[in-house]
Amino acid sequence: MAAEWIPSVDRERPHLLKLPPWSEAGDPGHEVSDALLVAPSLRGAVTLLCGPWPLRPGDFRRVQELLAAASLSLWSVWCQEEGAKVAAASLGLVVDKPPPHQDLIAGQGGQRQQRNTALDASALSIHQGTVRSGDHPQATGSLLVLGDVNPGAQVSATGHVMVWGKLRGIAHAGRSGDRTAQIVALHLHPLQLRIADQVARGPEEPPPHGLAEKAHLVNESIQIDPADPSWPLGCVPAPRPGLSSGGQGTKLA
Amino acid sequence: MTPVTSAPARIILICSGKGGVGKTTLTANLGIALAKLGERTTVLDADFGLRNLDLLLGLENRIVYTAQDVLSETCRLEQALVKHKQQPNLSLLPAGNPRMLEWLTPEDMQKIVKLIAAQADYVLIDCPAGVEQGFKNAAMASQEAIVITTPEISAVRDADRVIGLLNTMNVAPVQLVLNRVRPKMVANQDMLAVESVTDILALPLLGLVVEDEQVIVATNRGEPLTLNGSATAAGKAYHNIAKRLRGEDVPLIDPSKERKGLRARLMNKLRQSGLF
Ligand SMILES: Nc1ncnc2c1ncn2[C@@H]1O[C@H](COP(=O)(O)OP(=O)(O)OP(=O)(O)O)[C@@H](O)[C@H]1O
Ligand SMILES: [Mg+2]
Repeated sequence: MAAEWIPSVDRERPHLLKLPPWSEAGDPGHEVSDALLVAPSLRGAVTLLCGPWPLRPGDFRRVQELLAAASLSLWSVWCQEEGAKVAAASLGLVVDKPPPHQDLIAGQGGQRQQRNTALDASALSIHQGTVRSGDHPQATGSLLVLGDVNPGAQVSATGHVMVWGKLRGIAHAGRSGDRTAQIVALHLHPLQLRIADQVARGPEEPPPHGLAEKAHLVNESIQIDPADPSWPLGCVPAPRPGLSSGGQGTKLA
Repeated sequence: MTPVTSAPARIILICSGKGGVGKTTLTANLGIALAKLGERTTVLDADFGLRNLDLLLGLENRIVYTAQDVLSETCRLEQALVKHKQQPNLSLLPAGNPRMLEWLTPEDMQKIVKLIAAQADYVLIDCPAGVEQGFKNAAMASQEAIVITTPEISAVRDADRVIGLLNTMNVAPVQLVLNRVRPKMVANQDMLAVESVTDILALPLLGLVVEDEQVIVATNRGEPLTLNGSATAAGKAYHNIAKRLRGEDVPLIDPSKERKGLRARLMNKLRQSGLF
């Protein structure tokens, strides 16, 4: 019995790889290499669902190597056993709680839990420099732009979008449906904002000078308010490289 | 007979994204201005589809060979280069026919540019509009770039896209020229202000050229404004761009902020002299 794949449908989230029920004699390496035989075409980030498996650093390292050989990268793990959590964290892996089942399949409608999954994803991608017209950096987890997002450019993330600069293009937070996601910018003057499946045109007027603002969902519609000074420092996510830049610009409908 | 070259040539792409914003005009005027400053300058027409750099320089009737002939080794580079009569420091390598676009590779372009660079101080490449293959070929052969735009939203948007692409292609530094600025329109907020453009594009401003009908007159005559030392606003601007490009410190004056009248000018002078 091999580990089981739950491929990500939209390439915005990692593929899930679920280990079979734990048994004393089980070998996680075997389970994973067997699973790799049946999914030769998957690429990208993987989240390993370990359940009660008491994995140790050596086990995780072995899984990392197996995945890497197949052009996959182990990004985060979900485990119940305390020792496994510590082992994964010691290797720099993101350790997470499993989401409700419906959340496993990204990109589908339906009611989602109203918890702050954007930060639970705890991945932060950082884009350094101006995002120029036609560019479209996309992140799994949250995206921090250190620079401006220019008109004609777009940024999107499954989590929050934070712009340490001027947001004048299009921003999409919670791209896979997370309604708790926010868009924060030092100068929020976007062409358009999207949070989960909601869309709003940017305000005509530029923001008050020197006031950072946030856009968030209030009763199903996007609302702009002064940014909360301590947000999101309350729960700083672990940095992680791995930004995909979409080259071609996404045209507005 | 190449003199012992001191510094390697600077290979500068002149591009915009949007068409018709003044690339060819800048290439011609900057070429003359640099030549006048004693720099051996070669301008290369990389706009094979719609070549007209030769026209602007008044060299159309002296073209025998083109870049295409150099590549196919029908002639030597020296034979294809057209020297400017009044400014012998300036020469033009004409574009081949439009069909050249179909087969020209980035390597071809690099080969041509390398040949020219071996005997010049400055190589200016007049880039085709757009961000397609013609642009890419030219950019891949360049070291640095001047992006030119007008103060209009669409031109700025395209310039921004081009700057992003140049960044990914490791062309640096990229500097900005703002063309066809109309102080009145800016003052009435019918046109983007200089700061709005530089704020978005976030590039060092190499020069500001005002809208000047003398530019069009000169174009039609095949004698760039910079050729005859004319004191028109645009002509001066092109000369200043040449000087700044060489590293001279020439202050930039935003024409929409310059107060008119003798008194205002006197005040400006005093202010500049540090008395105020
Ligand atoms: N500062 C200026 N003032 C007035 N007219 C100008 C100015 N700069 C350029 N022009 C005019 O604008 C027109 C377009 O200029 P030019 O051919 O240099 O643009 P271009 O960017 O090379 O165009 P293309 O993309 O077609 O190659 C010409 O008629 C030119 O005379
Ligand atoms: Mg042109």
